[in-house]
Amino acid sequence: MTGRYRAVSKYAVAIIVVVIIIVAIIAAVYMMPKEEAATPTTTSPTTTPTTPPKAIELTGDFEKDVVEVGKALEANGISEVKYSVWGAGDPNSVMRVYGIVEVAERINKIWEENGVNVRITITDKKYDADFKAQYEEYLSKQPLGQAGDFFVNSYVFISVLAKEGYILDITDYANKYSSLLEDFYSTLLDAMKYKGRMYGLPQDTEARPLYIRKDVAGCTGLDLSNLDEKVKNGEFTWSDVYNWAKQAKDKGCAEWGLVHRKGSAHPDLVQFIYAFGGELYDPDEDKVVIDKEAIYKWLYVEWKFARDGLLPEDIMAWDWAKQIHPTIVSGNTLFDIGGTWYWTEWQTKEYYTDPETNETRGLKPEEVKEWFYYTLFPAGESGKQPVTLSQPFAWMINSKAGQQNPKYDDLKELYHELAFLVIVKASDPDINAIHSIISSHLPVRKAAANLLKNSTWLDKLKNLEIDLCDEVKNAIKDIVEATVHSINAEFLANVGYMLEYTKFAPSHPVYPKVAEFFAEAVDKVLRGEMDPEQAVNYIIDKVNADPEIKAEVKIVGEIPSGWSFP
Amino acid sequence: MLYKLNNFFHKLYRFEALFFLIPALIIVFLFFILPVILSVYISFTPLKNWNIGKYLGEIVGFNNYYRFFYMIQHDPGTRSVFLTTIVFIAVTLTINVLGGLFLALATFFVYEKASAFIRTLWLLPRMAPIAVYSLVWYYFFHASRIGTLNSILLSIGLIDKPIDIGQKIIPWGPWSIIIFVNGLVGVSFGMIVFTSAINNIPKELVIAARVDGATNWQISRRILIPLMKWHILYVTTWQLLSLLTTYAHIFLLVKWNLVHRDYGTTWSLYIYNAAFTGTFDQGLAAAAGVILVVIGGVLGWITLKILGFDRMITRPRGDI
Repeated sequence: MTGRYRAVSKYAVAIIVVVIIIVAIIAAVYMMPKEEAATPTTTSPTTTPTTPPKAIELTGDFEKDVVEVGKALEANGISEVKYSVWGAGDPNSVMRVYGIVEVAERINKIWEENGVNVRITITDKKYDADFKAQYEEYLSKQPLGQAGDFFVNSYVFISVLAKEGYILDITDYANKYSSLLEDFYSTLLDAMKYKGRMYGLPQDTEARPLYIRKDVAGCTGLDLSNLDEKVKNGEFTWSDVYNWAKQAKDKGCAEWGLVHRKGSAHPDLVQFIYAFGGELYDPDEDKVVIDKEAIYKWLYVEWKFARDGLLPEDIMAWDWAKQIHPTIVSGNTLFDIGGTWYWTEWQTKEYYTDPETNETRGLKPEEVKEWFYYTLFPAGESGKQPVTLSQPFAWMINSKAGQQNPKYDDLKELYHELAFLVIVKASDPDINAIHSIISSHLPVRKAAANLLKNSTWLDKLKNLEIDLCDEVKNAIKDIVEATVHSINAEFLANVGYMLEYTKFAPSHPVYPKVAEFFAEAVDKVLRGEMDPEQAVNYIIDKVNADPEIKAEVKIVGEIPSGWSFP
Repeated sequence: MLYKLNNFFHKLYRFEALFFLIPALIIVFLFFILPVILSVYISFTPLKNWNIGKYLGEIVGFNNYYRFFYMIQHDPGTRSVFLTTIVFIAVTLTINVLGGLFLALATFFVYEKASAFIRTLWLLPRMAPIAVYSLVWYYFFHASRIGTLNSILLSIGLIDKPIDIGQKIIPWGPWSIIIFVNGLVGVSFGMIVFTSAINNIPKELVIAARVDGATNWQISRRILIPLMKWHILYVTTWQLLSLLTTYAHIFLLVKWNLVHRDYGTTWSLYIYNAAFTGTFDQGLAAAAGVILVVIGGVLGWITLKILGFDRMITRPRGDI
């Protein structure tokens, strides 16, 4: 009994000691002097007699605003502002990231000239090929405070990001810069809005031409003179595309009649919906529209092309670098539904196998011009209009922009104002024009479009004798060398008219999901797994299967009976 | 007073086991129980787009469960996910357990150095990074001339144009690919456990059987397999639950369009897709996940019952 009693006492002592230690630790943590609380009482009365501004009133005068923000930051004890930038897209569109790097240098220079002792540092420059994957990463990391401060991506994500509060509402700031906004094409500014509020500035846009291989057209007997006019007038429709594609294949001029993009139906293939007179969005009800007639006709065209062996039935699973681009640049297809950026991508990426050397290389600008003709996306059938589809990219600002800097909670407004001024500067005509010429995207500002017409400026850019910081020059040197050419500038000028015909896919929270259903349906009709009518019903079944999506979608029209193609 | 205090600690003495278990219990609670509680809670919220601050406090009752069952009812794609899951688990589990058993027995009867080499070879799929391993099979099964299988079949003249196993031969084409790829990875696990089990069986039993003229098959069937019963039980249960929740290889094969989206997607991949792609519907994904956990628990319990887990953990009688 005594032994057991002793054992119990040992446990009692052990428990008491543990309890005392825990209580002591808790007490120590609570009683520890708080560094943040102590700071103002010791320093503020002596060093800052008046409270420094936590925000400034933007005036619309860029240099003045930048200097004022810089002074306010300096007065708050900030000497360095860190931002990160995330951009995505094709290999030549790196200015989506380096544009911000260049702006940081330009603002630093302004501050230096005005005696403001603050500097912007771009800490993380992330550039990904897959813009959708980067958007998904942004979604997952933004709430954790780990996403980029600047997010340069498609406008189509603005609705979700704005709804969730993940990007900054810049309406009030932008209103102060109305003269700048006037220089943007107005349709592009509309694309930056969600429920009437502005969430970004346009970074670029593009058109999606139908490329026609000239030598294959010659072999087939297709006369290309004035074809773009015929397309514009609706005289050359998708029935003609089919007929010529068939002839090209039958005559052995090309392995395929048509090749198009893979993976997603958005944004390339939904052009068919507009080409057949359909719509994708009802602004009055704020709903995505499923237009049964237009979608049926689109899927019928895909189905017909694939069944007749004119379009690869597994194109949605093709490899970009090994199959799609090599097929186009090697002349193995008559038609290709592509994008303006293909024009320079073919020059910088080694998709072409030179028959003389049997080695892969990029095309020369002269070769691209000599081999490819381009038009609008033709009307689906007579009586309908040709189209193109644009997916403007936007300079967006993280709603937590500046969070990696000191006193963020206190100076949030200043960091946001500075971030806005950064994207204002990133819209400088030369930055926009450089991006346009090296990536074959269309300029978003009239001033940038004018700069592209300036051959002296182009020559200087070719030799990198323009005002860019060394880091940016080094990053774009090879691309500039391969792409800055009068032929490419001429191409951009020539496709500019397509913007008059452009459509935008809806920036609606459920649209990405509906676009996935479209892609699945296209894949199924191409592979012959479903006929067009079954595929339309498949899309409708998918929409109706989820009550939340169903509530956001409006189904209109009927599958036409007796409609024939071509 | 001192007596009362000592009496109090005397009572505590009974809880000494609990006292020492507390660290382990905290870990179990944090990493095993809490995630389940959180999943159940999230399944009652409209959480989407990772927006915890906005949606986590909002309760929508059984709405996500309702949506989930509504989709099963109305979406043929969702239905095929369940069929795929059943076939995938049944066939892959059989391959994993029987394949592992066969390899362990086969390597037991061959020369030691050769058996070590064979075992290492079968471990390669498990050691290879998932992306690399999946990429190998992506190019192997690719539906064009760049696919190894197609290029071999074309060169020996068995086919005149490439075949698209994963997309065209529905549903067995995609099923075959995902079962094949996961089967190869899973076999090595059973092989290791069974090899270790065989090595612990007293060699005298095998030698005595050999002296009596028993064949390899008879030794396996009458001696080795009966003595490995509990190991087979363990591997079967473990692999069943693993297959129910595995999706990494399948995710890549579907993403790269090698296999059909509907007939290449298993339940766990469906949950991943719901949570992390498209509309980022984490509430719906949590509801589907909770049901998967319940089914996993029931299946695990049934497996243990059928294979007699109770008998394995019965206390020894002490009268040996």
